[in-house]
Amino acid sequence: MSHSATHTTARTTALPGSPLEQAASGLDMCVHCGFCLQACPTYLALDDENDSPRGRLVLMRGLLEGELNPADPDVGTHIDRCLGCRGCESACPSGVPYGQLLEATRATLAQHRPIPLIARVILAVFRNPALLALALGAARLLRATGLTRLLARLPGRPGFPFAMVESTRPLHTPTRYANDVSPSGTTFTLLTGCVMEGLFAHTNRATERVLEANGFGRQDTANQGCCGALHAHAGDLASARALARRNIAAFERSSADLIVTNSSGCGAMLREYPHLLADEPAWTERASRVAARVRDVSELLAARGPRPGAAIPWRVTYDAPCHLQHAQRIVAQPRAVLSAIPQLDLVPLADSDQCCGSAGIFNLVEPDVSERVLETKLRNIQATRATLVATGNPGCLMQIGAGLIQAKSSARAIHPVELLDASYAAQAQHRADP
Amino acid sequence: MIPLARELQDIVGAGWVKSGSSDLLAYTSDGLPGYRRDPLLAVFPGSRDEAIAVVQLLAKRNVSFVPRGAGTGLSGGALADGSVLIGMQRLRRIIELDAENRTARVEPGVVNVHLTRAATPHGLHYAPDPSSQSACTIGGNVAENAGGPHCLKYGVTTNHVLALTVVLPDGVVVQLGSATQETEGYDLLGTFVGSEGCFGLVLDVTVRLTPNPEAVRTMLADFTTIDAAARATSDIVASGIVPAALEMMDAPTIQAVESSIYAAGYPVDAAAVLLIELDGSAAGIEADAERVVALCRSAGARRVEVAADETQRQRLWQGRKKAFGAMGRVSSHLVVQDAVIPRTQLPAVLREIAAVAAEERLTVCNVFHAGDGNLHPNIPYNANDPDESARVHRAMGRIMQACVAAGGSVTGEHGIGLDKLDYMPLIFSDESLAAMCRVREVFDPGRRANPGKVIPVRACREWALAPAAR
Ligand SMILES: Cc1cc2nc3c(=O)[nH]c(=O)nc-3n(C[C@H](O)[C@H](O)[C@H](O)COP(=O)(O)OP(=O)(O)OC[C@H]3O[C@@H](n4cnc5c(N)ncnc54)[C@H](O)[C@@H]3O)c2cc1C
Ligand code: SF4
Ligand code: SF4
Repeated sequence: MSHSATHTTARTTALPGSPLEQAASGLDMCVHCGFCLQACPTYLALDDENDSPRGRLVLMRGLLEGELNPADPDVGTHIDRCLGCRGCESACPSGVPYGQLLEATRATLAQHRPIPLIARVILAVFRNPALLALALGAARLLRATGLTRLLARLPGRPGFPFAMVESTRPLHTPTRYANDVSPSGTTFTLLTGCVMEGLFAHTNRATERVLEANGFGRQDTANQGCCGALHAHAGDLASARALARRNIAAFERSSADLIVTNSSGCGAMLREYPHLLADEPAWTERASRVAARVRDVSELLAARGPRPGAAIPWRVTYDAPCHLQHAQRIVAQPRAVLSAIPQLDLVPLADSDQCCGSAGIFNLVEPDVSERVLETKLRNIQATRATLVATGNPGCLMQIGAGLIQAKSSARAIHPVELLDASYAAQAQHRADP
Repeated sequence: MIPLARELQDIVGAGWVKSGSSDLLAYTSDGLPGYRRDPLLAVFPGSRDEAIAVVQLLAKRNVSFVPRGAGTGLSGGALADGSVLIGMQRLRRIIELDAENRTARVEPGVVNVHLTRAATPHGLHYAPDPSSQSACTIGGNVAENAGGPHCLKYGVTTNHVLALTVVLPDGVVVQLGSATQETEGYDLLGTFVGSEGCFGLVLDVTVRLTPNPEAVRTMLADFTTIDAAARATSDIVASGIVPAALEMMDAPTIQAVESSIYAAGYPVDAAAVLLIELDGSAAGIEADAERVVALCRSAGARRVEVAADETQRQRLWQGRKKAFGAMGRVSSHLVVQDAVIPRTQLPAVLREIAAVAAEERLTVCNVFHAGDGNLHPNIPYNANDPDESARVHRAMGRIMQACVAAGGSVTGEHGIGLDKLDYMPLIFSDESLAAMCRVREVFDPGRRANPGKVIPVRACREWALAPAAR
């Protein structure tokens, strides 16, 4: 007979007033069934339950109940090593809000020990628009001079950041095509983002062209910025909230019906603004109104049934970004976008719902774990013999892109919308010179 | 660090011995909610040779140990109270898959569903399919003699294991059974399967693979009373049709599933649904399906829906298989029960369970293998409420007594472990328990493998007198 729990529901907590205490009811939902274990990339890579969702929930409970010390590095390590990919949420029958618990735990630990130095530096840059512009400008310069191509050849970790930047080089020359579809009445504004506009401006333009080609009217929103996801995931909630407030104010000024994101990490963050600002009553309501307008570009296109373009007879596989698949539960739509391209040979990728190890800045902060998770991904990609891997998130594009470059593979990573854009451009070309 | 930890490190490498209390916390519980036991150490061998060396060292040092697979067990079997926990999750290689002879040899840490996945391209599968198959290991399945929905027709783990390589607690490696199924001598293989980690550590498992059926029909029958669903179950089995699976879920279970990510489209206003699967040759299946539909209707089914395609079939099954987990959303704590009753007693026992639930003011979620009378009454509750906890405790005792009174048994497939120790004397005489102790002595004379599990210590008089081995 299983009587009352030794793991009691912790309301007499050792961390009064902490973010973890506020999130504690989510811990109670875990029934210990273990269904999340095989969904967790870090468990599969490291073979330790401390690096599994169920194990991390046990650690969180231990912290809350005072059995574990928030300054204990043995505990922090396992929380740090979590990708935050939320693959566990997609496997959990009980509905444990793992992502929220993780952020709350990281924020709580941050009160007791410093966030790792490298993470602090990166987050500071992302918090400061001028510094960020400088950093992204430098990256673009390296890319333009071709230096990244050279430095990416440095084997292993030293070359990886350069390979990441190199992987952002546009694969096709963006062409404008005449837009012969009249706007349907639905208007959108693009979250241009920080890294997206800095290194993936070509993807942003492609997104705008493709949406316009499908009849959506475009409006631009000034004064928007970094969404704050990196900060929230790392436990720096104060910075995340400041960035959220700025974006909410910016998008309130836009009369566009929908806010479109082409970076799934940012899209997930925008949708979670109400939760992030739950303690600020003046903002919660405003956050909800903005969040309700957010759509991933693939959602919008799939709902419309994107118009087909010219044939691209290439072998392509699709890798699901975690923040699309698990956080936003957008599963089928990106594939629907790709199937609008005639003759595209879309081949399935084994374990496409598992994280690639990018996870925001995880690959820079926890390179060892990230590398092992990426290895599995690259092996699966190789098995498809695809020439392109489509995935809708800048972090994944760079992680997989860099991995392919360093593995000397000829395959490349590309945003699904860019493929559709290329298909439309080819169509316009055919029409121009039949 | 204690000297033993250092010696173990010499075998498996530094990272694979856990000794600090924070590193061990995740290993203090398994799938059974509400229990916690602290192991002395945890060790994770990375190869068969390392596993053997670990057991041999523990024998030399006279230290007790507990094997652990995925820790999804529901009777506390993988909890180690002061013993060394041996985690087997790193041994997850499929050593050999012989499609022609339909066998596979696997390491014990292979996850059940991964074996089926590997066999699929050959048109084969591994038949025992516990609801936990996406997580639990073959080693754990062997130890618990796990069952699953499709065991109604295909039999439980023991019917599919051909041979085992085992390291006995004294460090000797033996082979039980044979891949060619010769059956000379005592059936040690049959004795070992279901021994709950008390007879030794499984190193590899040779299993039979089963051809995928030519045709499958999956049906969802929807009832407005539990009685009618129970009647339909009896009628189907009495008709001579052997369904591949016949599962029942009651209203609270349906509601929990439908509010989870595994929502399967079950009718939320039904008192009970039956999930019935038929399989076999394409020729006869349609006629059998029609008969099953008719039997459900005449027992009072509101509606019987046949899964249109594989996607819908998978969806119906996912809902069933994740039902236990979905109950986590009902309340903060959960007790899980497992009992077998003669199928003819189903209506009466289910009525009794409902009566107990009403009297004790509790919600009982029934989700179970109706076809073989294997009940799983689960009760979500709040353990911080002492009054509610007391009522849950009482209700569980009353339910178990009702099952035993109806001619049943206290476990169908989850094992005895720690959780059911107290019920053993309800079904076995002192003499029977003593006989079991003597069998255990043969495999583990030092009483160091998974001590304190399965048989209540007082049942073995000489064990009760001797202090537990450490
Ligand atoms: C949601 C849910 C649904 C379930 N559904 C079913 C079901 O339908 N049918 C069913 O039968 N069970 C079911 N179970 C129970 C459980 O999954 C099974 O008992 C399973 O066989 C346990 O496997 P495991 O790898 O998790 O083993 P663990 O829980 O780790 O261990 C179980 C026992 O096996 C022993 N053991 C593990 N590995 C070895 C080894 N290599 N050598 C020797 N002994 C070993 C352990 O010492 C322990 O006594 C369910 C559990 C959950 C959480
Ligand atoms: S799947 Fe959900 S309920 Fe089950 S162990 Fe993982 S987090 Fe807990
Ligand atoms: S978020 Fe990803 S890495 Fe972290 S526990 Fe969940 S599945 Fe594992």
